[in-house]
Amino acid sequence: MVTIPALAQVAQVGLDLEGSFELAMRSLGLSPGAAHLLWLPLPMVLVLVAAVVGVLVNVWLERKISAAVQQRIGPEYAGALGVLQPMADGMKLLFKEDVIPARADGLLFTLGPVLVLVPVILSWLVVPFGQNLLISNVGIGIFLWIALSSIQPIGLLMSGYASNNKYSLLGGLRAAAQSISYEIPLALAVLAVVMMSNSLSTVDIVNQQSGAGILSWNIWRQPVGFVIFWICALAECERLPFDLPEAEEELVAGYQTEYSGMKFALFYLGSYINLVLSALLVSVLYLGGWGFPVPVEWLAGWLGQSVDAPLVQLITASVGIVMTVLKAYLLVFFAILLRWTVPRVRIDQLLDLGWKFLLPIALVNLLVTASLKLAFPMAFGG
Amino acid sequence: MFGFLKKVGDYTRDAVGAANYLAQGLGVTFDHLRRRPITVQYPYEKLIPSERYRGRIHYEFDKCIACEVCVRVCPINLPVVDWVMNKATKKKELRNYSIDFGVCIFCGNCVEYCPTNCLSMTEEYELAAFDRHSLNFDNVALGRLPTSVTSDPAVVALKELVYLPKGVMDPHGVDPSAPRAGKLPEEVLATLPQATPTTQATPTTEETPS
Repeated sequence: MVTIPALAQVAQVGLDLEGSFELAMRSLGLSPGAAHLLWLPLPMVLVLVAAVVGVLVNVWLERKISAAVQQRIGPEYAGALGVLQPMADGMKLLFKEDVIPARADGLLFTLGPVLVLVPVILSWLVVPFGQNLLISNVGIGIFLWIALSSIQPIGLLMSGYASNNKYSLLGGLRAAAQSISYEIPLALAVLAVVMMSNSLSTVDIVNQQSGAGILSWNIWRQPVGFVIFWICALAECERLPFDLPEAEEELVAGYQTEYSGMKFALFYLGSYINLVLSALLVSVLYLGGWGFPVPVEWLAGWLGQSVDAPLVQLITASVGIVMTVLKAYLLVFFAILLRWTVPRVRIDQLLDLGWKFLLPIALVNLLVTASLKLAFPMAFGG
Repeated sequence: MFGFLKKVGDYTRDAVGAANYLAQGLGVTFDHLRRRPITVQYPYEKLIPSERYRGRIHYEFDKCIACEVCVRVCPINLPVVDWVMNKATKKKELRNYSIDFGVCIFCGNCVEYCPTNCLSMTEEYELAAFDRHSLNFDNVALGRLPTSVTSDPAVVALKELVYLPKGVMDPHGVDPSAPRAGKLPEEVLATLPQATPTTQATPTTEETPS
């Protein structure tokens, strides 16, 4: 009951969970410092939980959709429709023996998976689910993500090299080559979007797309950039058709060959969190983020409600979260479907595609966006 | 100049073609999403083997005359026929008979050539064992009859695709007495004009090797 006036108070400046939480805590008789201290771990735990739940859902979807495409049933005994299957997988990995090969470098071998997972989780920092529903609205948001994703190949190369196994080493080298070459068109595609929204912050990028609902989404202004970004994101996540680093027919399991137990689980978790993260970022950069296809402000206006009313604010925030997750999982579904549609490319084809096709097209896209911005500042965020 | 433009045009056409193929492939996989599963949930459901299924070999000790024809027609002389000559009666006395199903290729030559029909094929195919030596069946083990899929209460017996009625794709819930698509050999025979006695004799004997 304390929160309602507090909510109404902060509703004047938009839905501010942090402010309302601290106000509620202070009205319970805590000092402002203590209230802030209580607030601090909440978003981090929330994001960790969100990332892990996202992965569980993702694994379940992957198995069910794969089964449906191949006219199988898929997991069905662990929980209703097999929803607990990812949990069972995780438990199995938790109890498996953790083996470090005799001639491997123990320290680097252990450090590798950590270095792969931590940047991916850290990148969730900048993913917005609503106007104020993100951990920190850093000004360099999307740039931070690109910088963090460059750390990943180091971890992959490290674990591949430290395993003292030729397949692991080849897998690690491939992962590094792939990640580095696809980083460039990815960054160029992001740059075009950034140029249109005049900001690196993810919140600003979404706000710039929220003018006229679905019509103002970046996908209409950046169709080429959208395709480039999605291809590069798949390559960064090592999803099919770009899963060369772990091509089981040639490299056993690539850099993961020697890993078992929890260290393998870290790689597994990392790759799926990365997929969800990439899908979320595609929806943020190109599909209007938390925006509903029809702007919520218009809907509230048609229904005769004030946008600042606490209830409307709450509904807006919920719709925002649902829309972000929905868009992201639609993209995940597309990635899974793509997995069963296209065959794996060869390493030379992969590098050809990256350097000779995506890079020039991304450059042209950037230049065209820049000239369009100069020519039509109204439509391209001048 | 035109060479360059042609190159650009070809490149674009290639890229568009590749995208088109990708879209077609996605259409195929997307279409599969709405199709029913075709898998058999194995330990709980089993397919009924076809009538000429070549499974584990059944052997009747009392019918065997120890002629060793089965050994001679076997590609690797697999059956072991352990007999001794009874000097008094001047007849072979069979003591043991065994076939190692870890080595047998289930070609069915022994069944085909056995003069007394003491060998026959069963529909048993679940021969997994912890030790390969336990696949060496002696005459007692060879004389056992397998549990039929249709009579096992723990198993849902499913008909194979060719035994389903016309137009039915899903074997679940199909009436077991419903006839299969197409004509049975007997029905085909009935439609044929009655031919001369020479051709009449062959199909009836082929039907059941008694």
